[in-house]
Amino acid sequence: MTSRFGKAMLLAAVVAILLFLLAPILVLILSAFDSGNIFRFPPRALSFRWFETALNHSEYRSSLWISTVLGLISTVVAVGLASLAAFGLVRGKPSYRLAMEVLLLAPLTLPLVVWAIALLSIYAQLGINGTLPGLILAHVTITMPFAARIMIATFDEIDPNLEAAAKSLGASPWQVVRRITLPLARPGLLSSTAIAFLVSFNDVVVTTLIAGAGWITFPVRTFSRLRTEGIDPTTIAIGAMIVAFTILVIVLGQRLFQLSRRF
Amino acid sequence: MKQTPDIKPIATALLVAPAAILMFGVFVLPFLFLVVLSFWSQVPGSLGMDPTFTLANYARIISDSYYLGGLWTTLWLSGLVTLICLILALPLARWIVLHAKRTKGLLIGLCILPLVCGALLPTLGLVNLLSPLGFINGALKSMGLIKTSLPLLGNIAGVSIGLVQAFLPLMILPLISTIERIPHDYEKAAMSLGATRLVVWRRVLLPLMLPGIVAGSLLVFCASLTAFVTPQILGQGKVVTFASLAYQQAAMVLDWPFASALGMVMLLFLALAGILGALVSRGLGRGS
Amino acid sequence: MKRIACYAALTAVSLFPCLPALAQDYSGRTLVVGTWGGDIERLLREHVAGPLEAKTGAKVEFLLGGSGDRMSKMVAERNNPTMDVTFQNIYEAPAALKESLVVAPDTALVPTAADVWAGMNDGCYAMSLVGLGIAYSKALFPEAPEWADLWKEEFKGKMAYAPYPSSEGDGMLAVAARIAGVSERDPDAAFAKLAELGAPVLSYSSLDEVFTLMDAGEIAAAPMISGYVLSNLENYEGIGFVFPKAPGPVLVRDMVCQVANSPEPELAQMFIDLALSVETQTAYAKELNFGPTNSKVELTEEEAARVINTPEEVTSLLQLDWSYVIEQRSDWTDRWNKQILGQ
Repeated sequence: MTSRFGKAMLLAAVVAILLFLLAPILVLILSAFDSGNIFRFPPRALSFRWFETALNHSEYRSSLWISTVLGLISTVVAVGLASLAAFGLVRGKPSYRLAMEVLLLAPLTLPLVVWAIALLSIYAQLGINGTLPGLILAHVTITMPFAARIMIATFDEIDPNLEAAAKSLGASPWQVVRRITLPLARPGLLSSTAIAFLVSFNDVVVTTLIAGAGWITFPVRTFSRLRTEGIDPTTIAIGAMIVAFTILVIVLGQRLFQLSRRF
Repeated sequence: MKQTPDIKPIATALLVAPAAILMFGVFVLPFLFLVVLSFWSQVPGSLGMDPTFTLANYARIISDSYYLGGLWTTLWLSGLVTLICLILALPLARWIVLHAKRTKGLLIGLCILPLVCGALLPTLGLVNLLSPLGFINGALKSMGLIKTSLPLLGNIAGVSIGLVQAFLPLMILPLISTIERIPHDYEKAAMSLGATRLVVWRRVLLPLMLPGIVAGSLLVFCASLTAFVTPQILGQGKVVTFASLAYQQAAMVLDWPFASALGMVMLLFLALAGILGALVSRGLGRGS
Repeated sequence: MKRIACYAALTAVSLFPCLPALAQDYSGRTLVVGTWGGDIERLLREHVAGPLEAKTGAKVEFLLGGSGDRMSKMVAERNNPTMDVTFQNIYEAPAALKESLVVAPDTALVPTAADVWAGMNDGCYAMSLVGLGIAYSKALFPEAPEWADLWKEEFKGKMAYAPYPSSEGDGMLAVAARIAGVSERDPDAAFAKLAELGAPVLSYSSLDEVFTLMDAGEIAAAPMISGYVLSNLENYEGIGFVFPKAPGPVLVRDMVCQVANSPEPELAQMFIDLALSVETQTAYAKELNFGPTNSKVELTEEEAARVINTPEEVTSLLQLDWSYVIEQRSDWTDRWNKQILGQ
């Protein structure tokens, strides 16, 4: 009896929390259909005009593309490096583990605007300011703490006896990694990839200062007219489309790849 | 007690090296520059910097309750956000792991949705909801619960709501991984041995979930600490946070030495808090 | 071999002085322009970047952000600038010139600059003229207010300000000083007078925030820059805008600067030349309600009513000693944080 009641209570809590989490997104999606010139909720009259504008607006399209590409590259590098380091720290148990963890988490402790200015000065000295590699390095650095923390926790939780058992059964180190470690680490890898990508995608402060002119990302573009002209309703339509796209990807992933089982 | 490593030291070093080199080059070097900068001063009335060593920036921060107050507000705001995230994430994560067989992917996707369209857009949506003319106040008024609008923006309430929404995924995902590792039988075994729910949670579940809790809390705390866009918009300029102080001094007043000093002071606070936390957990460890 | 061919071609070209300057080909080169996003970027793309690209074959790319970010960039990148042209505020331009971050205005290099009203190319080239006036809620102010009306008891604590430091903030301080009978050189009096208005309802990060609340009467008034407000009035029925008379609106200028040691100085000069041209300035006036700095621009009566475009109007504006103001930046920021926001 108690377990059923307990389950119902839990479900109620879950629904409430999800509503809380998603309320602003609902506002966003509904106001994207407003026909007026400004961001207004509740919408007074419905129209698709902002969606049309968004699809035709080449600058937003290119900034979304840049954000995505930058995010993907930074994420792959950050998660890759973080996983290697995390594996080493957890399995190797070196004396410098704590120091290294602090180093990996360090970017989270500083206000990024100050660090970005210092980084830009150094880049300028080296002559790489405004370049894509410079921007990628900056993004990898700001996403590294998230990836590292999650991967360290992931490897911490994998029972080393499983790897030892496989080894004792004659598996080569590479086979152990491929057959035992990686599959067990998969949820952590997915989490850190998702979060690292989102952190990179959403960054405004660092990218405004570090990015060169050909690399204006979506959030930088959105933010740049906020104070002088307010939010462009096109941006809201784009946000709504991104949300719809994400949900679509998840539902499809569910159907086609049974995402739930892999997570 | 040092345990024997599973891989050779040289392999460890090689695995750790790339990340270490990257962080050292891209983060530590500018950081060292900032440390040096914090002891310089801005030439008054100019954008130039005077490199003579001075403690003036630090003195200014420590002697001014405005700056100390701002740093303190940021610290406990981050702590509050972390706590709330933990409280909200636990039921969500437990449900996702234990009860949501087919909808797991969808639920996780819903959790990260706020981050997907950028930090800015959900924040603006939230402004709309929390505004004195917004949906929430409107609903409460029409239900007769309040007469005048609740101030939900421009104060800690609004900022924490925004930060919790933004960073809940950072708490949920590590928790999910951790809870998945806990064999379901542990709970049942403990209860069959006569433990109450509370005891099961305190003695069995929480300790097992600790790595996930620590990972998530650390991320949420630090992310809240340095968050800029969300507190700026939801705080309406009236909630003084560390990141907004730093931005104002660095990018608007262009007093980089002072902005660096602000960063260093916060770092000092964090280090002290970290040491305190380590001592406390060691004390607790000895207790149990 | 290639070199000889190159020299031969150059000699051939120089022997024909009547060949148009179009022989100068900048294809493959990129000009980087730093500016605010939104309509300004759109207008610049349409009226300046487009023609420039067509004329020279070069590519124009825009860097978006706030003017403070661009100042930081200029200082940080001093040794290796990536920006060629940057748009800054009236108070940033002289400071940038003082630090040798930009090239002093030179009408020999930018011919259209000679058409700009006298004395405006201060530090950099003057791009637009706008005034700081009062955006107000029609519900609370049935008649357009004067600056002094804002200090009435019933409006205390119902103002909204832009984040400080900003030209809106400095302008408001100057007005407060004048109302108190002093000038901005007496910050104690100025801040004390401004503090009498009470703590603001908000420091806005986006224009929508302040307008929604003002439209509904939650905010009584805000010192705002004419250009953007006028463009937005049609979206909000409950908001009005006025250029007060006693003292007049505060003169604010957008400046366009050529960054020193930048990669493409000639393209930069051509860009600025086009930006100051009658065509671009007219578009600014018509579409953004920004007053043209080019004296040769002609506007219809209706358009002229909304912008500042004659020397007479300019003299009626309140002009601050901006170089003094920016020297006090650090001190005034502290005062603003504590005395105005911290009430």
